[in-house]
Amino acid sequence: MRRRLLAEPVAGPLRFVVFVMYAVPLLWIILTSLKSPADVIGSQSSFLFEPTFDAYVTALQNVGLYTAMQQSLVIATGTMVLVLAIAIPAGYGLARVDSRITTVVLGLLIVLQMMPQTANVIPLFQLFGQWGLLDTNLGLIIADSALLTPFAILLLRPFFRSVPTALEEAAAIDGSSVVRTFFSVVLPLARNGIATTGTLIFLLAWGEFLYAVNFFLTPINYPLSALLASQVSAFGINWPGLMALAVITSIPILILFLFTYRLLREGLTLGAVK
Amino acid sequence: MRGGRTPGTARLSYESRKRRTQLLFVAPAVVFLAAFAVFPIIQLFRMSVSDVRVSNLGSDWQFVGLENVVRNLGQGAFGGVVVNTLLFVAIVTTIGLIGGLAVAILLAKSGRWSATILALLVFVWALPPVVNGSVWKFLLGTQGLINSVLLDLGLIDSAVPFLFDDRIALLSVAMVNAWVVIPFNALVFRASIISIPAEAFEAARVDGASRWQEIRFITIPAVRPTSLVLFVLTVVYGFRSFDFIYVMTFGGPGTATTTLPFLGYVQAFIRFDFGLGSATAVIAVLMVAVLAVIYSRSVRREEIG
Repeated sequence: MRRRLLAEPVAGPLRFVVFVMYAVPLLWIILTSLKSPADVIGSQSSFLFEPTFDAYVTALQNVGLYTAMQQSLVIATGTMVLVLAIAIPAGYGLARVDSRITTVVLGLLIVLQMMPQTANVIPLFQLFGQWGLLDTNLGLIIADSALLTPFAILLLRPFFRSVPTALEEAAAIDGSSVVRTFFSVVLPLARNGIATTGTLIFLLAWGEFLYAVNFFLTPINYPLSALLASQVSAFGINWPGLMALAVITSIPILILFLFTYRLLREGLTLGAVK
Repeated sequence: MRGGRTPGTARLSYESRKRRTQLLFVAPAVVFLAAFAVFPIIQLFRMSVSDVRVSNLGSDWQFVGLENVVRNLGQGAFGGVVVNTLLFVAIVTTIGLIGGLAVAILLAKSGRWSATILALLVFVWALPPVVNGSVWKFLLGTQGLINSVLLDLGLIDSAVPFLFDDRIALLSVAMVNAWVVIPFNALVFRASIISIPAEAFEAARVDGASRWQEIRFITIPAVRPTSLVLFVLTVVYGFRSFDFIYVMTFGGPGTATTTLPFLGYVQAFIRFDFGLGSATAVIAVLMVAVLAVIYSRSVRREEIG
């Protein structure tokens, strides 16, 4: 007990510092979104002001915002579905077969996962131009999926590896085919890994903006993240409006986070190290 | 099929058939990634040795060999961009790892306060980078919160141009990148600290070890394998990073915050010189390939060890 008291005077305040470092920026997004543009011109750090929902009202009156929300939802969901459809079987196959091919494929996946996105965007822009995929949601979903699939496979593989092979062998003795065993035995047991991966892919696709800004030829089709990116790098930023947009962009992430935090906390550590 | 007479070979052929089916599971991924990830990289290499502008983006590239690389090296800014990249990666990695470990040690003890802070950190990590970048651009502005606090405390006489000064801007953006990567590193470090047997700490306590000695002689040696993997991951994260640069400074002022991957993007999509941008991107890709080899080695060592 005495040791506890002796140890806490250092750890307690330091923990508070960490809390402040991460809570204050979030608080400032919300505070600023509730100010009027005039409040921000006076002082950007004021605590006392008359809160107003003007920034939100203006944002929500803009028809373009609903298109952007819809685009974000379509692109993030589409990417999640496509990535999972490709990465789940691949993660399982690579977890079960140990051969030289597996080693080569895993090495390639690591290289692909590490590629700078700014290097991918150049040839994809050129190729999508030829293939007629520029300015389409399908093109963006394909590009996002190509970016995130290597990560998803590498994250899923350890989850499939932890499913005991004995269960599959038992199913095989009962006459179940490899494919049927996969669906009826392996998938249910790996559901946590699949949920974690799906959540992360959705989060990453929701925040992606480099492909969106370049592959959509007009801002009309931008998802929320691209809209935010194009507004923040413009001159003469309307900060309350921008922060309101940031809050609107973040709310779906908050909702998803509340449901999946436990999964993320466990799943992220597994995927990073293995 | 032919060997299916004796039980032994029948079992063998079942095994090999099973293996073949399981390998087929990988086929969709191989096809998809070959078309949309590997082929584009090959195309990038082709573009890097060609003269590609907007007018001839679709076809008719003229082969120019290494001219794009030579043009890059001839530009005065290129050397500076390489230095920026190294500095940026060094800051993100150092702060990201030390900060991550420190936060993990602080939050390793279970408790409501620790759990709340950990959840907050993971949430910040999960937010779109463009949201985090926007708020930091705001906080680091001349009239922003950071400057106001520093002025009120009397630590500075006039506002610090965090994002507008040649020398400070790179540090500012790198620090924000580190701020975002600390939650992830802390989470991974924390998992590795929690797995240290409680007996180790108890024994140290019996011997009268201080909290510092516990950290120095138990925690840090125990997380060494994890930190090797996280080191490479954080280096790669810092190297690839463009979102905060894009949002907060767009590479400026001048080229003060332009890193190698960002330079390639600017050359291709702002100056519309796709050949030159590709050549820069190829250099970045080759650097990543080296890092990937180091990473796979350290992961394999971790899995064996």
